[in-house]
Amino acid sequence: MIDQRNFMFMFYGFAAAWVIVTAYVVLLALRERRLREELDRVRRMVEDSVKRG
Amino acid sequence: MGHYLGSTFTIAAKDLRSEFRTKEALNASFAFSVVILVLFSFAFDPSSEQLQTISGGLLWLVFSFAGALILNRSFARELQNDCLDALISSPAPAGAIFLGKTVANFVLLMIVELASLAVFALFYESHFGVQLLPIALVIALGTWGITVIGTLFSALTVNLRMREMMLPTLVYPLLIPALMAAMTLTTDLMNGTPIGKENGIWLRVLAGFDFIYSILAVVFIDVVLVG
Amino acid sequence: MRNKIVFVLGALAAGILCWQLYNILLVLPNEKDQGAIYRIVYFHVPAIFTGFMGFFVALGASGAYLATRNLKYDAFAAAVTEVSLAFATIVLATGMIWGRIIWGIWWTWDARLTTMLVCWLIYAGYLMLRRAIDEPTQRARLSAVVSIFGCTDILIVWKSIEWWRTQHPAPVLSVRDGGGMAPGMEGPIYWNWLALMCLAAVLVIIRMRQENMSREIDSLRRLAHSY
Repeated sequence: MIDQRNFMFMFYGFAAAWVIVTAYVVLLALRERRLREELDRVRRMVEDSVKRG
Repeated sequence: MGHYLGSTFTIAAKDLRSEFRTKEALNASFAFSVVILVLFSFAFDPSSEQLQTISGGLLWLVFSFAGALILNRSFARELQNDCLDALISSPAPAGAIFLGKTVANFVLLMIVELASLAVFALFYESHFGVQLLPIALVIALGTWGITVIGTLFSALTVNLRMREMMLPTLVYPLLIPALMAAMTLTTDLMNGTPIGKENGIWLRVLAGFDFIYSILAVVFIDVVLVG
Repeated sequence: MRNKIVFVLGALAAGILCWQLYNILLVLPNEKDQGAIYRIVYFHVPAIFTGFMGFFVALGASGAYLATRNLKYDAFAAAVTEVSLAFATIVLATGMIWGRIIWGIWWTWDARLTTMLVCWLIYAGYLMLRRAIDEPTQRARLSAVVSIFGCTDILIVWKSIEWWRTQHPAPVLSVRDGGGMAPGMEGPIYWNWLALMCLAAVLVIIRMRQENMSREIDSLRRLAHSY
């Protein structure tokens, strides 16, 4: 069975790796949402300008 | 070739002349390095054995921080009155402009370093009379490395809004190998260890660093300045 | 089409990682000296490979941009650098935890750690530079130069410390994977590497899509204001 020595630290190590990956994915997701909102807003702005102009 | 060297010399002379008239960067840089040396001596009060291990590190830290002040101004001083545009559109090749400024920065930084060495000798007892020539060589090579990278990045960051912050942020990580080499060599030389088999490696690293980056910088200065 | 690629790669990565996690935690025998902590190498080493590869890929993309001036290479370089920064963070974090257990210290200046740290600092500087520049072509041009200089620097750091360490007897600082590992224990490293590469590819694709969206926003905004 798995060696119990330093088990907690192995767990911390794995946790650190996964936390960093998850944090980065969350960052990407947040940025994606922000960019999409901005894109829709700017597209509407262009349509309005075309309609007016 | 003659045109190239002539342009380099003209630009170097211009920068040096302009700096010697006001001596702003020189004074600021020297004052900063004195402050660091004094504060360090005050804060840590190193004994002479401790000093033997840290002398190289401390000196090069002081040199690189002082250098940042000089390098920042290098291209920044051309921003007023569109001088930078005038320089770029002049017949001088971009590489010559870069080399001229690098040589000028090298001279200025060497002046500050020599003055700082005098202060260092004052506050910390050190005996570098022993191996003057090797120490001079190491200081020259290390300074050239700092100025080559620093001048290129000064050109790169000149038009950015956060120039004073971006320059150190980009330059210091790149300088790490050169600073490591210079620090190790200087510490060894100051303790009387000559450059032998063990630390000869670092001398080659330093020389290689200077060579590679001098070429890279001259190649890429066109891209950086013009586009 | 691209979404399908993303899903397939993501599923592949997840699948391999789960399988290997089972393998690592339950199947693999114990290592006699280090206890459970050695299993961290199965994330640490693949992350190193993936993180470093990012540098060279970004170098290629930056060179391609400067040669062709096609902004999609710039988007690719930025995406790869950012994802590689995440992996470099993993390397440093897992390495520090491992080091704390095995050597009793959080940090030391051995070759690999120093190289990884310099790598991280240069990546971070690159991303900060990109934030500081609004104009797309200027941003692409300047960050390409930084990428090229940064990659050269990493090679210099790596080589110089390696040369130095072959002179000096290396203190017990090697995080060497292959040397001394029983054959049955090496498999997970390569499988995890494959999984991390798939994961990296997924993240790069997503990030590149975001870069393209960002550029589309810029150009639409300009179009809107021109009316």
